[in-house]
Amino acid sequence: MADLDESRFGKRDAFGAYQPKDPITYAPITEWPPNPGKVWRWFIGWPGFLLPWYLFYSCLAVAIWVWLTPPEAEMADIAPGWILTILGRNYLLVAVWNGLWSSRLYLQKAQGTFTKYNPRFPEGKNDSFLWNNQLLDNLTFVLCSGVPILTGYEVLGQWFYANGMVPMVDITSTWGLVWVGFLLLSVPFWTEVHFYVVHRLIHWPPIYRAVHHLHHRNINPTPWSGISMHPIEHLLYFSVILGGCLIPAHPIVLLAILMRSSLGPGQGHAGFEQLAIPGGGTAAVGDFPHYLHHKYFEVNYANELLPLDRLFGSFHDGSEAADALLQARMKRKAKRGQTGKAT
Amino acid sequence: MPETWIRACAVADVDPEDLIEVTLQGQKIAVYCDKAGNFFATEASCTHEKVSLCGGLVVGDIIECPKHNGRFNYKTGEALRAPVIHDLKTYATKRDGDEVFIAL
Repeated sequence: MADLDESRFGKRDAFGAYQPKDPITYAPITEWPPNPGKVWRWFIGWPGFLLPWYLFYSCLAVAIWVWLTPPEAEMADIAPGWILTILGRNYLLVAVWNGLWSSRLYLQKAQGTFTKYNPRFPEGKNDSFLWNNQLLDNLTFVLCSGVPILTGYEVLGQWFYANGMVPMVDITSTWGLVWVGFLLLSVPFWTEVHFYVVHRLIHWPPIYRAVHHLHHRNINPTPWSGISMHPIEHLLYFSVILGGCLIPAHPIVLLAILMRSSLGPGQGHAGFEQLAIPGGGTAAVGDFPHYLHHKYFEVNYANELLPLDRLFGSFHDGSEAADALLQARMKRKAKRGQTGKAT
Repeated sequence: MPETWIRACAVADVDPEDLIEVTLQGQKIAVYCDKAGNFFATEASCTHEKVSLCGGLVVGDIIECPKHNGRFNYKTGEALRAPVIHDLKTYATKRDGDEVFIAL
């Protein structure tokens, strides 16, 4: 087991809340003036843009295209056989991925509260959730709505490609490979813009109360909370998958978006900053900006790649000064009668 | 209306740096005991989402709501940290022998 001294990475306050040592910053690619050395270290470093997670999701997309996707010719016609194959494969992926995270961190508690943002584990009855249980509630929304809807988008995208409605780039040619590689590198950027826009939309009070509050009941999120959403939110959130069909590309790009949007949230909602690796070492897994979003609701609608929240005034870097600013902002809103408050 | 002193609990009912919830005249009240053994009282529900503060943690002069981790100074009622923005109502307390009284 790794060295479980969490003070190397961050600190706890008197109430046991953990937060990383350094304030949240954005990807160096957005800094001005540009610092090529810093950008390069971020691009190939550990943890960085590629390593470990985005490279993993991209490689997984390639493997799934090669081994776990029906042949193109078969997908040209809408037929239950290949659609059910894709549905079964997506159920397997989501169940194994979230199950592994959840089992290790929450059932076995293999690393205790080492770098866990919220020192408590969401256990026992909680009447905020279906069946009075957070895990059962999350499983219900992920398995009954999330996986079928994300599969629906993939089926549509694969059908577009199989019928030539979207030109498929030939990845056996050098330029085709370079183009698809470029598109894969661009995915995290424009999917973050899509996420930000959808997320701001569903925080509009009427939609929030009808739809997004379901996800926000997960104040102390776990891996299964990641894509535990209202079906309408699933429809909006997973529409990003069709971004892989807007320009000549390749189904691998579509699958990379799917991996990132369906598996990434399990990791991002794990509730821990670091994963202790058996045998020693740690890997950064946390998404502290999004954890703060679950805690405070009205901050950090995007993630750490693009400075969208800084641009639109909803950035919270985790500091006490940001806490005070947020509270003042909420008080002003309350005075104006604009408390589209979260529940 | 003049305040009425009502017995809330026994001194031994509340541990130092802890709180209990009592119901007095139909109102739910949180009774706190600080490290020095002084007693304080506030409304029992968080002003954010009306969750009972009794499952929360007391550290120093601060109570943290168990639901969204909003924080209040329970001695003054002041809302200290988002998402709470409205102060807690506080009540005067007095100790008489082994019993704690609250002015309602």
